[in-house]
Amino acid sequence: MSHEKVNECVILKDLHYSVEDNTWVKVNDDGTVTVGMTDVAQSLAGPILHAKTKSVGTDRKKGRPIATVESGKWVGPVKSPVSGEIIEINAGLAGDAQLINRSPYGAGWVVKMKPENLEAEIGEMTTGDEAVARYKEKIERDKIQACTHIAGSDTY
Amino acid sequence: MEDHEGKRILVIQTHGVETPTRTYSPLFYAMAAAAMEMEVMVWFTMNGTNQLKMGEAEKIQLDKTSNVNLKTMLTMAMDSDVELRVCQQSLELWDMTPADLIDGVEILGATSIIDLALEYDHVMYF
Repeated sequence: MSHEKVNECVILKDLHYSVEDNTWVKVNDDGTVTVGMTDVAQSLAGPILHAKTKSVGTDRKKGRPIATVESGKWVGPVKSPVSGEIIEINAGLAGDAQLINRSPYGAGWVVKMKPENLEAEIGEMTTGDEAVARYKEKIERDKIQACTHIAGSDTY
Repeated sequence: MEDHEGKRILVIQTHGVETPTRTYSPLFYAMAAAAMEMEVMVWFTMNGTNQLKMGEAEKIQLDKTSNVNLKTMLTMAMDSDVELRVCQQSLELWDMTPADLIDGVEILGATSIIDLALEYDHVMYF
C-alpha cells in the first residue's frame, strides 16, 4: 500500500483520516468500514496495556468513543470517525493490546462498523497527499516527537 | 462486560505533594472514567489541596525520563472533561486563597461534598 513517512510516522495514502482524533477509516467492499488508531496515536500512547472496545451492536455518533485505550502513561478514548453501528470488534486486542502498537493499520484495527452517513462523513476526512500534508502540519504544530515503534512492528 | 456510559464517579483525593506516588493514580482513574463517557469529578481536600497551588504540581515528576509532571496530569484531566473541585475549608490548611489556585479549579463548601457523594453513582476515596 502506498505510504509516506512524516517524522518517522507512517501515513498510508489509501486510508481516510480524522487527523485531529488520530483515527483512520478503510472502506470495505461490502460497504462496512474498518476503524483504527494511527501510527501517530500508537506512538503518543506508548506500549498499550489494555484496549476495551464497545460491544457489537452499539450505535455510535461520530466523535463518541468506540474504545478506551490505556498505556502506562496515558488513557483516553478512541473516538469514532463515523456514525454507525459497531458490527465487529477486534477480539485479538483483549489478549494482546499491543497489536495496535505493532500493526496500527493491520492486525491492530479496533472495530468494524456499518456506517449510516458515510458519504458525508468521509468527505470531512482527509486522504492521500492531503492527509500527509495535514499530518505534517499537526506534527509541527503540536511538537509531536518522532514516532517510535516497538519490536515486531509492521506499520504498512 | 457491561458499558457504564453516563454513570457519575466522584473521586476524593486527600493526598498531596508530600506523597508524590499517591497523586497520579486518582487522576489516571478519573481520565479513564471520562474516556469511558462517565461524568467525573475529582474533589481535593485535606492534603490533596496543596497540589492545586500554582507552581507546586510542576515540581512533582514521578518518571524523570518523561516530561509529564503532576501539572501535566491535572491539565490532561481537565482537557478530558474531568471536573476539578477543591474544598473551601481545606485552603486555610495551606495558607491558600482562591487566587493561589491553578486555573480551572472551582471551590465548593463541605455541604456540597455531602450532596455530591449522595448524588453520584460511585465514590472513590484516596
